[in-house]
Amino acid sequence: MTHRVLLCDDEIPIIRAAEFKIKKAGYDVRIAGDGEEAWQMIQAEMPDILVTDCQMPRLDGLGLVRRLREHPETRDLPVLMLTAKGFELSAEELARRWGVRDLIAKPFSPKGLLERIREILHEQPVGP
Amino acid sequence: MSSSNNRYNLAAVGSAVLSTGWVVAWAAGLLIDGGNWIARLGSLAVGLALAGTAAALWLRRQAREQTAARRFFETLNRLDPHALRRDTADSEIPPLESGHPLADVARRLRDGLIELAEQFQDLEHARNATEIRCRRATTEYERVKAILTSLDEPIVAIDPFDEVILANPSAKEVLGIDAEQTEDRALRALVRCETLVNLLSTTSRRKAMESRSDEIQVPATTADGGWYRVTARRLAASGAVDEDAPGGGAVAVLRDIGETKALQRRNAEFVSSVSHEMKTPLAGIKAYVELLADGEAEDEQTREEFCGVITAQADRLQRLVENLLNLARMEAGVVKVDKDGRPLNEILEEALGVVRPAAEAKQIELVSDLSPMYLGVFADRDLLLQAAINLLSNAIKYTPNGGRVTLRSRMVDAHVRFEVEDTGVGLSEEDKYRVFEKFYRVKKDKDMAQGTGLGLPLAKHIVEDVHGGTLTVDSVLGKGSTFAVVLPGSGQISS
Repeated sequence: MTHRVLLCDDEIPIIRAAEFKIKKAGYDVRIAGDGEEAWQMIQAEMPDILVTDCQMPRLDGLGLVRRLREHPETRDLPVLMLTAKGFELSAEELARRWGVRDLIAKPFSPKGLLERIREILHEQPVGP
Repeated sequence: MSSSNNRYNLAAVGSAVLSTGWVVAWAAGLLIDGGNWIARLGSLAVGLALAGTAAALWLRRQAREQTAARRFFETLNRLDPHALRRDTADSEIPPLESGHPLADVARRLRDGLIELAEQFQDLEHARNATEIRCRRATTEYERVKAILTSLDEPIVAIDPFDEVILANPSAKEVLGIDAEQTEDRALRALVRCETLVNLLSTTSRRKAMESRSDEIQVPATTADGGWYRVTARRLAASGAVDEDAPGGGAVAVLRDIGETKALQRRNAEFVSSVSHEMKTPLAGIKAYVELLADGEAEDEQTREEFCGVITAQADRLQRLVENLLNLARMEAGVVKVDKDGRPLNEILEEALGVVRPAAEAKQIELVSDLSPMYLGVFADRDLLLQAAINLLSNAIKYTPNGGRVTLRSRMVDAHVRFEVEDTGVGLSEEDKYRVFEKFYRVKKDKDMAQGTGLGLPLAKHIVEDVHGGTLTVDSVLGKGSTFAVVLPGSGQISS
């Protein structure tokens, strides 16, 4: 079974680098331009992991995670968060309150992001 | 005086002895013969005469003594205790004659009085000195109190029992003390700021004299959040031998740091925004460089694509740095401004030429509606061109494909006005005020175009600070915006 990864960022050229790397590793990768679009894509097709930026138009990363946690079917979706912010966000706080698995600072390494995605997906119980 | 007195005494005593002798002799003669009456009467008369003389002498002596005593006491009564001095006392209080029965008492009384007068005079000096000191201290106290009262810095002082001994009006206002009388009331009961109460209280109990300080936020009374730096110092016990002896309480002086705090916050926000704006293109560069380094791009086309993204992101970073530097230079006033009388329309036409490709790429109709008049402005050509380009490219960025952007110039009274009108997304009431803030980007429109949020603040600086004009915006959400620049005119010629 091919794992599905949803990448969400309004800086499309940048997230395409991650898409390229992750796709090459054999995952099924989708891209959303903002939180609202990501939410609609999740409704239509549930990914195995979400990687989202914080600052985005319409619905930002935190708003998206909050919405995911409010719905039973998306409550347990693993989330990795990307941020270009300096000190306004704390990984511990995000993990404790919203179950965000990790906070990855921009600029990020596509290789490092892929490894983190792999680790998290490996932890998941294998479906039937 | 003294010898005559003794004579009187001698005569009096002698008379008394003789008269007593005569009476005794007469009585004895009577008993013996009871004879010659005449002789007996004669001797009786002599005896009585002698006794009378003695009595008269005694009475006279009594009278003289009384007069001397009365004079003595009258002198005492008239004495001025302020003026009595030991060296002149003999002339002021003549002593009684040595034979006078009160002479000894009078001498002791006089000595005692002189001593008392001296003590009285000493006390009076001391009292005068104290009075002067007291008046000085009162004046000093009033002056210090007036100074403390007039100070804008809040000041609170406590005694060793944590009771307030001073709270100036500024302290009352800032700390929200509504009590009229603050003296002798517990600090804790008057002030709710826990940090301040604890700082003062612990400082008061410390052995060391050096001051301690902390930052406190009192219940917000100002827009800046009521931040104060409080410096507390222990007061030495008054009257202690050791000047540093504890037990005098403590005093706290508060300094308003609201503005500093606000500045720090704005600075932190600014740095955060800059780093965020820089990290985004950096993220692109780093990610694609890593892909290239790892040999992920297997064909030439992919490699070119990656290099294209890297170049675009590097350009974006460069633009950001240039804009930042320009803005910083302008804010610091180090930009070399070369102002001269120039034709505005020429500058505007040049700006139109610069942005035309961007408008064409989005099929935006770029309308030039420039005044046929010569509009002279006293301006720096490069800077004003930059401002016009920023306004135009901003309009093109936030106008959907197929829209229209109009550049208009007019003469209005003695001023020159040019405006950029678009049929774009428009601004909300709040955004209208905030678009000129550094790094502010309208959230909902961020995905429409790339930007640093520096173009409009830069234009505003150029127009207002460099050229003494105004840059304002009028907008209807969803319909479009008009950014208008008004500059002082420098004469016009009909073309």
